[in-house]
Amino acid sequence: MTDTIWPEAGLDSVRRLRIMAAAVPGAVYAEDVLALPFEEVWAVAADLESEFPHLLTDVRTMRVTRADGDRFEALARGRFGQRARFDVVLRPGWCWMQSRFLIGGMAAVAEADRTRFAFMGALRVPGARLVHPLSHVLGGTPGSGVIRRIAERTAARTER
Amino acid sequence: MNDGSERAAALVRAAQRGDGMAMHDLLDLLAPYVGRICGPIALDDGPDAAQEALIAIFRGIRGLRDPGALFGWARSIAVREAVRMARRSQGARPAELDDVPQPGDPQLAADIRDVLRRLSPEHRAVLVLRDLEGHGERAVGELLEISTGTVKSRLHRARLSFRKAWR
Repeated sequence: MTDTIWPEAGLDSVRRLRIMAAAVPGAVYAEDVLALPFEEVWAVAADLESEFPHLLTDVRTMRVTRADGDRFEALARGRFGQRARFDVVLRPGWCWMQSRFLIGGMAAVAEADRTRFAFMGALRVPGARLVHPLSHVLGGTPGSGVIRRIAERTAARTER
Repeated sequence: MNDGSERAAALVRAAQRGDGMAMHDLLDLLAPYVGRICGPIALDDGPDAAQEALIAIFRGIRGLRDPGALFGWARSIAVREAVRMARRSQGARPAELDDVPQPGDPQLAADIRDVLRRLSPEHRAVLVLRDLEGHGERAVGELLEISTGTVKSRLHRARLSFRKAWR
């Protein structure tokens, strides 16, 4: 009987992000289903250098400085010149990143011709909001704003 | 400690300090393991059970004193969550095995899921821990908080159902 193939419970990217959001203290989390195909949505989400500044309005630029498989290092600059170095894991439907002060993630799963998209972010240390280029996304702009903007950016790319 | 468990223990210690990358890599490590336990016990509710189990694991990780005990600790949480989820979903179905598969049932021949579905969540938990995870009856009893005698009887009845299904 041990040779039998037992049913396994798989976890898609959105479920994984729910776990991380529940585990990280004080995390902001939002999830929604977008009436857009997964490939188009993820093309926007995964384009860190071009699209990230549009998704997170506190970010002026995002530059990938190192790549090794699905691991990246990126440098973010805020509107007021603040800098933050991020470690990033980027896979289809999954993005996880961490700087000294912030943890963030995006996840997407295809649901027929739609996409379930989720976003989370959390401060790692108290007071980080004052110095970090991305920190306002966790305060005045909740995660749902990121989801709205990703839908807008995806639609804009498709129309081009 | 081998390389794998040393790496897991290092990730636990880093995750306990709030390192998000360590949490990420720990999730990579634990998700397939928890999924293998929750799948056969919770069946259709397996992904929900695995999600809830991993939330409990990550919320409790700071309190794990011995990082080397990670998988044993995670296993007990996963089994408990899978049984709880399956019981809730089963609703009015009796907790004890009372509908042993009939020999010759064509649907049962190839589908382990169907056979498992005919067992109670408690029987499935015993089967997973004993036959899939390879634990002794005593360890299974301690994990599920039942006597060794109950482990033996549940295991006997669960295996009997498989034999009948595949006769």
